[in-house]
This record gives sequence, C-alpha cells and structure tokens, in this order.
Amino acid sequence: MLVSWEWLKQYVKLSATPDEVAERLMMAGLNHEDTHAVGNDLAINLEVTSNRPDCLGHIGIAREASVLFDTPLTLPAAQPKASGEAASKLAQVRVDDAKACPRYTARVIRGVKIGPSPKWLVDRLSTVGIGAINNVVDITNYVLLECGQPLHAFDLAKLAGKQIIVRAAREGEPFQAINHKAYTLDASMCVIADGERPVALAGVMGGTDTEVSDKTTDLLIESADFAPMSIRATARKLNLHSDSSYRFERGVDPQGVDWASRRACELILELAGGTLAEGVIDVGAQPAEREPITLRFAQLKRVLGIDVEPTEALRILTALGNKGLKHDAQSVTVVPPSWRRDLSREIDLVEEVARIHGYDKIPEDVSVPMAPSHRTHTDRVLSKVKQALCAAGFDEALTLSAVEEPWSEAFSPWTAAAPLRASTPVLRRADRLRRSIVPSLLGARQTNESLSNPRIELFEVAHVYLPNINTGGGEALPSEELMVALTSGGDYLSMKGVIESILHALAPGLELEAVPTRQALLDEARSAELHVRCGGKRLLLGYLGEVSPAGLKQFDLRAGSTVAEIKLNTLCEIAELIPQYRQPPVFPAVTRDLNLVVDESVAWADLSHTAREAARPFAEQLQLVDVYRDAQRLGPGKKSLLVSLVLRSGSGTLTGDEADAAQKRVVAACQQAHGAQLRA
Amino acid sequence: MALTTFQAELEAFAAAAQAAFIAAADADALEAARVEYLGAKSGRLKDVQKQLGGVPKEDKPAAGKAFNDAKTVVEAAFNEAKERLGSGAQATSREPFDRTLPGKRAPLGHLHPITQTIDELKDLMGRLGFTVAVGPEIEDEWHNFEALNIPAAHPARDPLENFYLSTAKVSTGKPGAAKSDAAKSDSGAPLLLRSQTSTVQIRVMENTKPPVRIISLGRVYRPDTADATHYPMFHQIEGLLIDRHVTMADLKSVLRLFASSFLGGDVHIRFRPSFFPFTEPSVEVDMSWHDDKGNLRWIEMGGAGMVDPNVLAAVGYDPEEVTGFAFGLGVERVCARRHNVTDIREFYRNDVRFLHQF
Repeated sequence: MLVSWEWLKQYVKLSATPDEVAERLMMAGLNHEDTHAVGNDLAINLEVTSNRPDCLGHIGIAREASVLFDTPLTLPAAQPKASGEAASKLAQVRVDDAKACPRYTARVIRGVKIGPSPKWLVDRLSTVGIGAINNVVDITNYVLLECGQPLHAFDLAKLAGKQIIVRAAREGEPFQAINHKAYTLDASMCVIADGERPVALAGVMGGTDTEVSDKTTDLLIESADFAPMSIRATARKLNLHSDSSYRFERGVDPQGVDWASRRACELILELAGGTLAEGVIDVGAQPAEREPITLRFAQLKRVLGIDVEPTEALRILTALGNKGLKHDAQSVTVVPPSWRRDLSREIDLVEEVARIHGYDKIPEDVSVPMAPSHRTHTDRVLSKVKQALCAAGFDEALTLSAVEEPWSEAFSPWTAAAPLRASTPVLRRADRLRRSIVPSLLGARQTNESLSNPRIELFEVAHVYLPNINTGGGEALPSEELMVALTSGGDYLSMKGVIESILHALAPGLELEAVPTRQALLDEARSAELHVRCGGKRLLLGYLGEVSPAGLKQFDLRAGSTVAEIKLNTLCEIAELIPQYRQPPVFPAVTRDLNLVVDESVAWADLSHTAREAARPFAEQLQLVDVYRDAQRLGPGKKSLLVSLVLRSGSGTLTGDEADAAQKRVVAACQQAHGAQLRA
Repeated sequence: MALTTFQAELEAFAAAAQAAFIAAADADALEAARVEYLGAKSGRLKDVQKQLGGVPKEDKPAAGKAFNDAKTVVEAAFNEAKERLGSGAQATSREPFDRTLPGKRAPLGHLHPITQTIDELKDLMGRLGFTVAVGPEIEDEWHNFEALNIPAAHPARDPLENFYLSTAKVSTGKPGAAKSDAAKSDSGAPLLLRSQTSTVQIRVMENTKPPVRIISLGRVYRPDTADATHYPMFHQIEGLLIDRHVTMADLKSVLRLFASSFLGGDVHIRFRPSFFPFTEPSVEVDMSWHDDKGNLRWIEMGGAGMVDPNVLAAVGYDPEEVTGFAFGLGVERVCARRHNVTDIREFYRNDVRFLHQF
C-alpha cells in the first residue's frame, strides 16, 4: 500500500518526521518497505498483511498513527446535499446473486460536468502511482484509496432500462473491460448487468460500454460489498487483478459502504457539479452487529509475560475504534469496530494491546526452564551412515521429490502400485511422487557429466512414496519410507563394498546376502536384491546393480554407473548404536593360503560358508585374495579361487597339527559340497 | 714422544676436524671430511692413535684419556654437522625428493549445505531442550489446514496454491492420457503435499500431553515458479513449546539464545507484528547484526508467535490451562545467506563443484 505523506496528514496531525512515523507503523504491523519522493510529496510503501484490509486506505493508516502517537483522528463528514427526485425513481437495482453480493447501494447524480481534476487531486493520486483520467473517475479512485471501499461510476444514460442487475454471468458471455481487453465469462462469476448485458465484472473491473466519458452527464454511483471468495476466484480465473478486487478479496468494511458512497457524491458535487438525487438505493442485508468481546486483563500477563496497565489497555482498544461496553478492575468488554473483522476473540485483543504497547517492552532475557532432549534413533543411524558415505567419497545430493513419468517408470523396485500424482506438476513436467530416488540421482549424474565433472559419486537420503501400502483403518496415509540411494562411477563390487562398509559401521559382523533380481534399469547379471540376517530374521535391505546399456541410454549417460537404494528402516533395525566391548584375541593366528579350483557356477557365498563351517572352532576369517581363470591350465568353465584362511583358537596358541587338521577339513568339505580341487 | 707433544698434536687434530665438519656445506663435503679425519682405514684419527704408542709408559694413562676426550669431541662435532645437514651422509644414496609435490588426497565426500545447516540448527535447538520430530510429507487437510486454524475460505486453501494428490492410473502410453483418481486417506479425506511443517506439531500434540518441546523439520511444497529465491520444494524448521505459563517473553528469550548460538556473540531480538493463522499474536522476528562498519542492522530471521487458542483446542488441549509458542524459518534462506549463495536453485542442481565448496 502506497501512502501519500501529505494525504495522511489530512486526517491526523503528526509532529514526527516521515521516517519516524514509518518506523512506528512498521513496529505496529505495517512493514515499511521504502519511501520515495514524488513531487513535493513522499510515497511511503507499507506492506499490509491479509488480515488488515482496513489499512488498505489512508484513513486506516491514519487511525493507526493516531493511536501510536496519541493524537486525534479527523474524518470528513461525507454529508452531500441531496434534492429533487428520489434515486429509486431514476434507477432500479436487483440482486439475483446475493451470495456473491450481500449488499449493493447506488446513488444518482444528474447534470455533472466531466472535466479534468483540480491539481490537489491529481497530485494525491500521482503520489500513489495512479494516473488522472477525469474528475469523476479520479474521485472514485481517491475515495477507494481514502477509505479502502472500491466504487464504480456508471454513465446512467448508457445503462439499458436504467437498471442494475447483480447476477451470475452466463456461460461464455463476452465482456469488454475498461482495460480494453475482452473476456469470456462463466457461470461461477458475478456480473453487474443492465437490462441487456454485463456492464461490470462485479468487484473486479467496470466495462467500456458504460464508462464515464466526456459526454456523460448523469451518474450511477455503485458502492457494494462482494464476497471475498467469489471475487478471488474470478480475478484468478481471468488473471485480472485490480485495486478493487484486491480489497474485496480481503473484505471491506460493511459499515463503510454507505460512507464511501456519500463521500464520493460529496466530492463529485464539489468538483463536477450536478444534483444528487434524494436517498439511496440499498439492496441486501444490513451489516450485522458485532459480538462483544471480553478481555481479562490477567490474560495480558499470561500471554505476553509483561504487565500492561489496564488503563493503557483501555486507551489502546478505545483509540482503535472498539466501543467500550463495560469494564471493571479485572476485565473490559468491547464491541469491535466494523472495519476490524479480524477481531473476534480475547486473544485478538491481547495482540492489539501488545502491538500498540510495543513488543520492545517484552524482555529477551527471562530464564526458560531447562529440559532434556534426545537425538532420535533414526538421526543417530543416519549420522553414522552419512559419515561412512562421506569417508567413502560420496557427495550428498538433494533432488526434487517428484519426477516426470518416464523417470517414475524407470525404476520402482519397492512397489508395482501406480505412483501418486500431484494435481499440478511440482516443477516442469514432474508430477509423479517418486517411488525410488535412483532415477533422480541418475539425472543429477547426467547434469554432472554434461559439465564434464570427472568424479561423480552421489548419495541422497529422502522419502519414497508408496501408495496403497497401508491397510489399517482410521486416517492411514500413503507410506513414506526413508531410503539411502547411491550412484557411482565404480562397478558392482565397489558399490557392494560401500554398502558393506555402511553395515559394518552400524553392526560389525553382519553379512550381506545377494540374490538375483530383475530390474529393467539394471544389468541382469550384475545386479542383486540385498538381504541381511539379524536376530534370526532375514530383512530386505535393498537393491544394487550396474545400470544396463538401455538404462544408460534413457538417462543420456556416456559412462557406466552402478546404483543402489537401501532401506533406512532396515539399517535402523540392525544398528548397534552402543557397541559392547569384546576382548581382542590374545593368541596368535595362523594363516593358510589355499588355491581352490571350482566350477564357474559355484558362488563364493556358498563356498565360504562351507569353508567356515568346516574350520570350526578355529575359523576366524576367510578372505578372497584373487580369482584366476585359465581355460588351458584349469580347464574350461573353471575358476581358481585364492583364499586366505585365518585360523585362531580362543583358548591357546594353535599348534601346527591343529591348523593342518582344520585346513584338511576345509579342503575336504569344499570338495564334497562344491567339487573343489586343491591346486598346488 | 713427550706427553705435551702428543697433546699438542691431538689438539691440532681436533681443531682441524671440528673446523672441517663445521665448514661442510652438504652431505658430500661432510662425508669427505669424515673419511679424512675419522676414516677407519687411513683417517687422521688413526695416525694420531698410532703416535699414542710412542708416549712414555708412565704418561700413557694421561695420554689415553686425552685421546679419548679428543675423539669424543670430534665425533660430537661430526654428529652435529650430520644433523645440521638433515638427512646425514646416507642421503647421498637416495633419490632426490621434492617436498612441494601435491599430496595424495583421500576423496572425502561432502554433506549438502542444506543438511549441514539443518544439522547445526537441530544441534543448537537440541541444546535448548528441543527434540526433533518428523511427520509425513503427504498430509490430509485436517493437519495441513483445519487444525492449524486455516478455514476453508482462507486463500491458502486454494487448490492452485497447493499440490493436491491423485493416484496415477495405468498409463495408456500417450503423455497426458493417464487417468487419475483423487488420492484420499483411508478415511476418505483428500491428500496433498504439506505446505508447512506445522503439520508435524499438530501430530505430536495430538499424541502427547503437555509439556511439549519439539522442533519439526523437513521438506515442504508450494506451487511457486522456480527462480533465484523460490523453489517449489524447500525445507522448514519449526520450534514448538507448550506448557503452563509459557509467554512471549519466553519466546523472545529462547530465540535470543538460539540466534546468539548460531551467530556467535550477543545478539538481540526484535518482534514486528505479523499475521499467521496458527499463532496469535504473530510476529516477524529480526535479529540484530553489526555490519562491517559496526552499524546495527536488523536481519529477518523468520516468523513466530503464541500458538492460537483454536490450534490448542483442535488438538485437545485446554487453552485456559496451557499456552505455547511456535517459530519457524526457511532453511534455504538461512543457508543461502550464510554461504552467500545467490540463487537457491543451485541447491538442487547437485553440481559436484558446488557441493565440494561446503
């Protein structure tokens, strides 16, 4: 809201400087954006919150200033002299759409002379950025900016049948607004029509057909109350926003409708001449009386934490326009002013007293009792996971929770159910809530490839959104699960190693189980569904795999990538956050290297399990050192596994015989179970 | 040979050797001097030792002691020189080494700056007794609006101001041809992406008796066009304290502790009246800041206020019994200002050259 400094001073005597006034207004709720000079005047730019439409006019601002500086507010009387015929004889008003238009008033002035406005009026409008048009239009604009009530002046001669009908627009009805643009209306919009056609879009903008021109002599002055929801919807649908719609959307003062009409007529008679017809055409409900509100003075201290003298509270409330009904030592009961629809409860009055009394009076150094706080289990686990990932050289990415359809379909290992969709895309075409983070990370990978960044190792921790998972009753919502997703330039085994490191950081000793999975995005041979065993349970951990050539193509990636997505829930379940001390072994270990030749089909997981079982009770570790293939020396379809068997006893130094025996058991077991041959 | 003559020879030897060791400018020169004076086969020390045999028998103990003393002094001088030259005589046999070559770096990963900011804010609030609470990003209208005192007529409820959800039906293959049904919770309420994390506060209060002291944080969504200062997804962090006798003075004091911890030094808090549906009174919070020239500046920190009695009643609390405050701030804004990031879209581009700066 642009405020003219000179205009403001018409209503309230101010000895403070403009900057001081702006500062005080800001500290009472009208945020001061800036002040700039216009001619000999100043335009003060104040931000008005949506609950304070009363401050969308100079009088409202002046009232705030008068309360803050404790100086009287003087308002124009707005008592134009009427004579002759009654307005109701000269025009008719009918309201068909009372929901959109609770009240419509019209006054009639005949015999005006349209011409330029006097300098003072032109100056006032120019300070607040409004160009002068002619005396009548300028006056309606002036009154709007004076009290916040939008008005419209029709050329009465052009109103067919001298009639105003407030009704819903007809579907497809055309309308030419005074901004010279044509609009097509629909039945949800409210129009002001005459006997034949819409002549104004109610509360938003007037029409060209009936606008005041140089030849106009007779006027119908509209001052009405339109429903905020209706105006907002219309303005939004047509993308047509005006000073008028802005105010109706926030709600005008229902008691101010008539005052504004009288005020405009008074100024028109003064500046454009003419004769005001007797009375007013006033259709619709008269504004209801406001409910009284009681403020218990003790509530001030209870909410604000400071004492405010009841006399000060009373002064503030009265000066703001509240009518005192009764008060005693404990409380006051007031009727709030019609222009303050935001005041309806005791707490609203507490805020009024507080903001005028000044928030600077509230101390900032009271002692607040201490309280314990704890980090959640999830946060603790996450912090270990992120630590491990940073140490492994992964950077954390943040990507949008919604994706476009092709990405949404690219990878969805957790659910086959269709994704949730946003009514409008969150960004560009991204309207699917993602069921996996992996596609977004591949997108980030592509961005980095296109920037020629050499090393792209990314992870993200975020929710995936899984519809139709919850089956419980009540208010169950779609399932959201935190996932850790990764993309790396490394291969399957290096990514698997990273996941193993994460597991080790949370629960040393747990082993990953990798079983085949079929995911279109992933290379079938070099991908896996991962499980982990914990406390007798087999838990699904996630998915891992090298991106297939088709996948790389879909994401426009030149170099290969391995991706993974793992469930944070599983990590939380297995995490051992307070590890218990185990004494490191005191007796020396014996290491035996073995070369075992097996068929290609023998899986390491099976072989190592067999070997460790056979080496009991001395098995400490079985490490894979190397895999060697040579069709000529080993035979086709064979591989040689160089393994390092670490043996140790918990009760004494292992003897050579004991180690030899364990080694023999291992070789024999591997031969029996997997056809392994010991190679010299 | 007389004892005195031997002693003189010894002194001359020691002085010459010491001088030679001190004069040695590098390891090679020192090694040459060592061979000359201390060399095991033909060093001058050997020559002097041989002369020890010519000293009269009765002087032998004194001569022997003098010889040993001189030898100790010369050896010490050699060791000193060796130390001075660093790597010692052996360095001559090693490869040259350039100590200014670049180190071999471990490729450390970096946490996203938004995460770092959140972690720090969580940590600060944790010290003030606020425990982290989280909740769903997909919400119903009760938690996102009704319980927060945002009635159906409020502009914030406009469908165009929110991301309402539907379930995507099987796609027909043509873009835009997919049919969809409005997504609803099991109780049939429409669902949307939450537009603020206050929803979490409602969920916590619904399930907890006062006192409550939490911070809720996470992703929120609003249909803003992406530009340098807006993104349709961003992060909020909100604090909530509900108890008997909680006042605005408590709010101001907690925010001051928070701001002082975050910025360091003595920070002051200023309230400006504002309007939020879920608090009354509502304020914008500024914190004081001294610029380079030492002038007092106020910078916007976020919004705050006393929890509206309607909100307390909506979660089953008695507004006559308890009061509370809430405050919130946008993480992107705090983070951008802190690290001088001028376009918040950078946060979501994930250029590793950006991520590596934090």
